[in-house]
Amino acid sequence: MKMTKWAAAAAAILALGAVIAAAAAAATGEDIERRKAVEVAVPANESDQAVLGRPVALALDADRLYIADALDCAVKMFTKDGRFLGSLGRKGRGPGELSFPSGVTVAGGEIVVADKLNFRIQNFDGQGRTRGGFKIPFAPDRVMALGAQKLLVTANPTGRRKGERLLHVYDTAGHPLWEGLEARTSSDPVFDTFRNMIIVCPGESGDFYVIFRSGERTVLHFSGSGTLMAPIAVDERHAFKTMDMPTGRGVVRLAGFCWAAARDQALFYLSAPEALDGRDLGPGRTASVIDGQGRLQAVVELPCVVHRFLVADGRMFAIDDEGGLRIFEVGR
Amino acid sequence: MRKLAILALAGLVMLTAGVSYAAGPGLNNQTDCNSNHMKCREYTLNIDAPWYKVMVLLTACDIAFGKCMLGV
Repeated sequence: MKMTKWAAAAAAILALGAVIAAAAAAATGEDIERRKAVEVAVPANESDQAVLGRPVALALDADRLYIADALDCAVKMFTKDGRFLGSLGRKGRGPGELSFPSGVTVAGGEIVVADKLNFRIQNFDGQGRTRGGFKIPFAPDRVMALGAQKLLVTANPTGRRKGERLLHVYDTAGHPLWEGLEARTSSDPVFDTFRNMIIVCPGESGDFYVIFRSGERTVLHFSGSGTLMAPIAVDERHAFKTMDMPTGRGVVRLAGFCWAAARDQALFYLSAPEALDGRDLGPGRTASVIDGQGRLQAVVELPCVVHRFLVADGRMFAIDDEGGLRIFEVGR
Repeated sequence: MRKLAILALAGLVMLTAGVSYAAGPGLNNQTDCNSNHMKCREYTLNIDAPWYKVMVLLTACDIAFGKCMLGV
């Protein structure tokens, strides 16, 4: 009898220990799968044209990678293994010319470019021939195909007008269909700029997702017609990184949530900002893999800091700190 | 007498404001200020720099815009 009591006590202590160990593991994230990205060697592209001046956006079609280069005023084309194929556009204001291209996507077999400082969307075919486009009343930032017939164009609000919208949907002929997501405004336009920085990711059927780079732990899911379908609360283990920002109202703590993001096979890849010198935030070298319910599935460790990326079929196409193209296998 | 002085002073202030406005940036100049401010912000947002640096650069854009509007 005495022995049984001792055994019960020992079993209780062991069970308690197991519970504490499990809680500690959950708190430190030990139960999360951590995996290392495997780098795919990119061919040495000898041509000067292949050098990326300021790569700001990436897009893929069945066999090509497109990178909008804002500095060179061109869209550069690569194979999916990173071999340079050529470029579209040149600096200027005329047809086929670009001024600070800031977004690129593929819609209906055409390459669609956000021609920022010309306030227009321009289309090209795969040989670089212009295929028309349309003017818009603001400087477009990113452009993303919502199926073959619609384009989502994002805007950076100027902060000088009330009621500016971050999202604008057009048909491919340039007719406005919908606009939404009002810019956040306060007495501090610089702080507002950070609060209004977004990343958009395509869904499977003309829907799309909006991720705020700071301040919110949610991903907004919109239908192609602009209906907010559901906010997705992201797992707290994908942690905010904070930065103290001096504003007109004193120091405000900015919660950095995401530096870059992409979506592939119903999974989000969110790269959290990384603390620099104790007070600044910069691009990170990990990507959290988040499922459609916001749960953290895995953390992928990357061999370098990445500024922007997209992921397709488990392969990440990323821009590194030097503005170079890097390719990693990040899927299981 | 005091009322007259106040009215005269108010008139002087309004006249000065009117002259300053007329001598200040015209419509084209204001358009240029807006355009430069927009370009400054867009370049800053697309360099993908660390956020403290972006904050400083955006503040510089706003200061430049203010100076442009004042014709300084």
